[in-house]
Amino acid sequence: MKSPWAMIVRASVAFDRWVRDPVDPRPLAWFRCWLGLLSLVNLWLLWPDMVMWLGNEGVLPPEVHRETVGGTRISVFMLTGYSDLAIGLIRCLGLAGGLGLVLGVFPRCAAACVWLAAVSYSWRNMDILHSGDNLIRIGAFFLIFARSGEALSLPRAVSRRLFPQAAVDPVALYQPVPAWPQRILQLQLCILYLAAGVWKLMGPTWRNGTAVGMVLQLGEFQRFPIPEFFLTPIMSQVFTYGTLAFELGFPVLIWFPRLRLPVLVAGLAFHAGLDWVMNVQLFQWLITAYYLLWLKPRRS
Amino acid sequence: MRISRISLSPAYGPFSLVRGSLRHWQTFLVVGYTVAAFSWTIPASLFPPKTVIDGMVSGPFLLLGLWQAWDMFSPDPRATDICVEMRCTDRNGTVDRRMLTDMVAMGYFERWQKDRWRKYFNDYLRLDDEHRLWQPFAEYAVRRLREEGHDPVRVELVRWWRPCEPAVRPDLRADLRQTPWSSYMFHRWAVPREWDQ
Repeated sequence: MKSPWAMIVRASVAFDRWVRDPVDPRPLAWFRCWLGLLSLVNLWLLWPDMVMWLGNEGVLPPEVHRETVGGTRISVFMLTGYSDLAIGLIRCLGLAGGLGLVLGVFPRCAAACVWLAAVSYSWRNMDILHSGDNLIRIGAFFLIFARSGEALSLPRAVSRRLFPQAAVDPVALYQPVPAWPQRILQLQLCILYLAAGVWKLMGPTWRNGTAVGMVLQLGEFQRFPIPEFFLTPIMSQVFTYGTLAFELGFPVLIWFPRLRLPVLVAGLAFHAGLDWVMNVQLFQWLITAYYLLWLKPRRS
Repeated sequence: MRISRISLSPAYGPFSLVRGSLRHWQTFLVVGYTVAAFSWTIPASLFPPKTVIDGMVSGPFLLLGLWQAWDMFSPDPRATDICVEMRCTDRNGTVDRRMLTDMVAMGYFERWQKDRWRKYFNDYLRLDDEHRLWQPFAEYAVRRLREEGHDPVRVELVRWWRPCEPAVRPDLRADLRQTPWSSYMFHRWAVPREWDQ
């Protein structure tokens, strides 16, 4: 039997290899495209109310904002000061960055633009943020350091069309890229579920199985109609304990290659269900972008 | 030709240890970020080193936009339905009542687009602790109302609430439930005629 010390060393070496061995660029490219598209949708939803949320004559004028936010944060407001010019800049950065991510054009620059736009509106009015904003900021930040343009990229597709002889070798098509940005984002997803599950475990309504029934009563989250069958105490318990089981199980089960696909499919069903019954804008969609990082592409 | 094995083996010493560690910088970064994000998001009661770690990483996390929270609907979901209303009285005496976050009354698209309204008005503006937000919102509302051709002399902000039932039944959904609402006017502003003209 191996000593615990030997097992720790083995696990450390395996983890080190998992982080440092180059990976297929496609999952990062899928993530980049989907995050970029969703960041554009997010911008489109935010656009009509930007003056109200972020403007000098909006709901949070500079003198009130100064009182509430302390410390320096990187944002376009560092350049413009409290000015409505910043709103135009955020719109331009979000638009250019989102399109760049979707198309794979200067993906690192595009990620920096999306990240800067997101941190800027987040800094200017923190009271309008939802969990989806966290996912956009964090995802875009680590994409700045990732070589996510090695697949699904418009410039590459154009160059392949123009110089077809250069793209014959499928291995050369998808050169492995450094893995660490992808690994951080994969671990981020595990932390998200673990934290969500642990926080819920601390609440009596989650432990006694009534939490989901309570949430489904709240008018502010109500979305599409739900079959009456679901609105019963038994189903409330099923959904409450199911949520806890999924959120606490995901960070463990996802590491087993055989279980990975079933866990991801269960997660998709879970978030699709939540998106149907609850009105929380883009969070359920954005989290699916992080799922793409766990997929293993077929060899070329 | 003879090659000495000794000359090929690495020299062990403090420098090689540093060099070796630097070669693994990605692993250190990934572990460091994971520990930091874990500490940031987990309740302090379950993770004693949280205060120390959060103190170390709060600077970079806030500066770089990496702060995060994943505690939606926890530890317990809210047990009351909430709505914020704005009442504007025009100079001619007509009262315009606008429910700002009556999500059930909105269409599917509108309630989706206005999710940030729900966040702002229901989670922050209605609270006594956030009283600093009340007057700026009233002033913003007056500017918008004047753009619409109104001449408001008074703006009132009212919070509405009603408890959820402990039971789970189809007829207890927000659009069907008959539980009576309570209300409280938490801010009133008599608009000076010359304000912002």
